[in-house]
Amino acid sequence: MSSILVDGLTRTYPGGYQALKGVSFSVAQGEFVAVMGPSGCGKSTLLNILGLLDRPTGGRYRLEGAETARLGDAELTGLRRARIGFVFQAFNLLPRLSALENVALPMAYAGTGVPERRARARELLTRVGLGRKAENTPLQLSGGERQRVGIARALANKPALLLADEPTGNLDSKSSAEILALFKELNMEGMTVVLVTHDPAISAAAGRVLKIKDGALA
Amino acid sequence: MNAREALRAGAREICANKFRSALSFTAVSVGVASLLYTTAQTRGMQEALEKNLVLMGPGRMTVEKKRNYTSQGLSQGLTYGDALALRRELPDLFMVEPHSRTNVKIVAGRISVPQVSVSGTTPDFRLRDWVYKLRGRFLNEWDVAHRARVVVMVEPAIWIKKPFWAKFWGEDDPYAAFAKRRDLLGAQIRLEDSVFTVVGVLTPPPRDKDPRWDSWNTPNALVPITAYQQGLSRYEKNPDAVDEIRIDTGSERTLASRRQQIEAILKRRHRGELDFEIKDQREEIESELENMRKYVKAGLALGVVALLAGGIGIMNVTLATIFARVREIGIRRAIGASRADILAQFLLEAAMLGAAGGVAGVALGLGGIQWLSGLGGSRDLAQVTWLQCAEGVALAALVSAVFALMPAYQASRLDPVEALKAE
Repeated sequence: MSSILVDGLTRTYPGGYQALKGVSFSVAQGEFVAVMGPSGCGKSTLLNILGLLDRPTGGRYRLEGAETARLGDAELTGLRRARIGFVFQAFNLLPRLSALENVALPMAYAGTGVPERRARARELLTRVGLGRKAENTPLQLSGGERQRVGIARALANKPALLLADEPTGNLDSKSSAEILALFKELNMEGMTVVLVTHDPAISAAAGRVLKIKDGALA
Repeated sequence: MNAREALRAGAREICANKFRSALSFTAVSVGVASLLYTTAQTRGMQEALEKNLVLMGPGRMTVEKKRNYTSQGLSQGLTYGDALALRRELPDLFMVEPHSRTNVKIVAGRISVPQVSVSGTTPDFRLRDWVYKLRGRFLNEWDVAHRARVVVMVEPAIWIKKPFWAKFWGEDDPYAAFAKRRDLLGAQIRLEDSVFTVVGVLTPPPRDKDPRWDSWNTPNALVPITAYQQGLSRYEKNPDAVDEIRIDTGSERTLASRRQQIEAILKRRHRGELDFEIKDQREEIESELENMRKYVKAGLALGVVALLAGGIGIMNVTLATIFARVREIGIRRAIGASRADILAQFLLEAAMLGAAGGVAGVALGLGGIQWLSGLGGSRDLAQVTWLQCAEGVALAALVSAVFALMPAYQASRLDPVEALKAE
C-alpha cells in the first residue's frame, strides 16, 4: 500500500503566486525519498501539504488511504498528531522545556498518561544517544544534539511517516552525517521518510530522489 | 495534556515574564481588594444592624419633646406622670422608661469630678440595650417609689485595641480617670448637693465590641427618676418633667397601632397640645444605613472598574504574549496540538495570572481592612469569610479568562505554516 499518493497537486497563494503546479507521485510504505530542488521551487510548500499543515488549492492527497481534502481541521490535527512526525531545519524545540519534556509534548497532546510518556521519551532519547542529557534544555545542547531531540520528538507518537525539512541545513558535516545515519537506521526499521534537502550527500543515501523545479517535478 | 501539567506550564510562562505579569495583575488585585473590602463593609453593616435590632427591641420608639415648640400654656410638657399613665392604660407595653439626663459635679471623698453624665431612669432601663455586667444591684421599683438616694455607676468602657484618635481624646475624660482608680461599690458620693449610695456598678463591653448602635450615649451614673427630679433636674418650673420616654411595644407588629394609641393618650393628657413627637428608632437607623450604602456602592463601582481595567490589562498582556510566541504556537500545532489546545493554553495562562492577581488582591484587601480597623474603622477581619476570599480569587480568574478569550481565539486560528516562519 502506498503511504502517500498525490495527484495533480497545486497550491496557489492569495497573491496569485503558484508554488505547486500539478505535482503527482506516490511514496510506498517504508520508502526513503529525498525531495531536491533550488530555493523557492515549492519543496517546503509540498512538505507542509504532506504534513497536513497546509491544504492544496487543487489536486488530491491521500495519506494512508484517507482522502485529506474531506477532513476538517480537527481531523487533520488528529491525523498529523498520530501518523506524522515533523523534523525541522531550525529544530523548533521549545526553549523553556527540557529535552525530555520536548519529546514528551506530542504525547501530551495525544493524551498519553504521564508515566508512560516520560518512560517513552526517555527511551527515545536513549535511542538517539541523548539518554544522559534528558534534563538539559535546548540551549544547553549542541546543534546536532538538538536535532536528535527533534527526531526523538517526531517519533514520540509512533508515526507512520517522518517528514524532514532540511534537517541538516543548520549542522556541520560531522553532525549531518550522524543525523543522516539516524534517518537511515529508522528507515531500515520500516519508517517511511520524506526528506527535503539541498545536500547531494543526503540525497545519495535516499532510495529515490524527486527533483522539483518551478513547482513541478523535473 | 492533563490539568496539572497545563498549570505548571502556565506558571512557568508567568514566572518567565515577571515584570509583564506583575503589571497586568496589579489592576486586577486592586479590583479584588476593593470588592473584598466593600463586601466586608456590607456584611459588617448588616451584622451590626441585626445585632442592634435584637438589642434595641423590635417595637422600639422614643417620645421626645418637639423641637422649637412654643407652649400654649395648656400642656405641662412630657412628664413622669405621662409614663405612668402609659403604663396604666397600655399595660401590655413591654417597656416604658422615662429618662432624663444632665451633667453634674460628683464628689467622692476629697476628689471632685466635673461634668459627669447622670441619667434618671427606672428599672425598665434593663429591658433593652442591656449589654452590661452588673456588680451589686440595679435600681428597683422600691427605689423609684421612695425617691431613694441610690446610684448605679457605669464604668468607662475600655478599648481592646485603641484607635489612634482615642489616644488623644480619651485620656482627658476626667470621669474615666477617676473611675479607673477606685471601686465605688458601697461608697457614699455626692451628686451636686445630694449624697447618694452606690448600690451597683455596671461594666460595659469594650468599645470596639459594643453591639449597640449608639454606645457613645452611655451615661456615667444612673439614679431613680424620682430622685433625679428632686435633686438634679434642670426643669425648675415643672418638677415632674422628663427628657423623653423610651418605649418598646414588644413586637414589630404592634408598633404602628400602639404608636397611635400612645399619641392619643399623650395628646389628651397634654390638653390637645402636640408638644411631643414620637420617633421610630428603626427609621433613624435605616436612614443612617442608607447613607452608608452610598459609600458602599461607590466602593463597589471602584472595584468593578478596577477589575475591568485589570481585565483589559490581561487582554493586553495576552496579546503581547501571543505576539511573542507565534512561533511556539506554530511548533505546537505542527507536533499535534489542536486549535482547542492552543485556546485552552492561553486562557489558562490568563486565568492563572488573574488568580494570582486575585490572591494579591485578597492580601491587599485584608491588609487594608486590618490597617483601617487599627485606625478605628468599624470593620475587622472577623467579617471576612473564606468564601468571600475564594470568590474574589475566582472572580479575578474568570474576568481574566473572559478578557483573554479574544486574543486566545486569534492565537488558535493562526496558520501553522505562517506561525512557523515567525522569528
